[in-house]
Amino acid sequence: MYRLTRWLEPKTVVRAHCDLPCGIYDPEQARIEAESVYKTIEKYHASDDPIFRGRALHIKEERAELVKHHLDVLWHDYFKPEHLGTVPNLHELFWNANKQASKVKGSLDLEEAKKLLGMIDEVDAAWKATGGPAKTRIAGRPG
Amino acid sequence: MLPAIAPGDWLLTDPTIRRWPRTGSVVVFREPGSGVLALKRVSPPPGGAFPVELRPDEAWLTGDADETTAAAAAFGPPLDSRAYGPVGVDRLVARAWLRYWPPRRLGRIPHRAR
Repeated sequence: MYRLTRWLEPKTVVRAHCDLPCGIYDPEQARIEAESVYKTIEKYHASDDPIFRGRALHIKEERAELVKHHLDVLWHDYFKPEHLGTVPNLHELFWNANKQASKVKGSLDLEEAKKLLGMIDEVDAAWKATGGPAKTRIAGRPG
Repeated sequence: MLPAIAPGDWLLTDPTIRRWPRTGSVVVFREPGSGVLALKRVSPPPGGAFPVELRPDEAWLTGDADETTAAAAAFGPPLDSRAYGPVGVDRLVARAWLRYWPPRRLGRIPHRAR
């Protein structure tokens, strides 16, 4: 039997998978980028050097774009239809947070950046309520 | 590609093929970009508001799972023509037509007219 299966065994492996999901998700990624945005706006206002201000603007916009990217990955890839039972306002949460990230990308208002942090914390609460930390992070880091 | 093809199925393929087979056939090809050997179904290109027109040597290849199923399984967005567009015939490797192992999975790979 073994010899037969050895003989029949294919020589080539083909992938039919849709994608390779690493399965690691954490709103902390979006939070860190949003904190960067917040700090960069602070630094922008604290300086009157036009070159520094130009750089700060560029970095702030780049980081705000990354916030949107990380939120989208959570929304599309981590959250599943059954999570709507636990978090009924899930879509509204992401819609608002992404809209806010777009607003902050084009603004220098520290209050707007703070609002974005609050919205990411709401996404974080939804991730925790659906068992995210146990399901999507690798345990065992020193505390 | 469930239920047509399951992980671990052993397939008999026809590597002599030189043209894209008819819609609904399952083909082995080299993925644009990565060059990874992949398996997808020849499908009609999208119509609707943003139709895709294929050249004679191109095919539109998709996995069997629709976007909702793929998202529900947390596979991420489907990695097929919806991501990399039409595929040229120079990337075609073979046509898959039979599952032969394990014995309970023996059978022709079903065509699917979409």
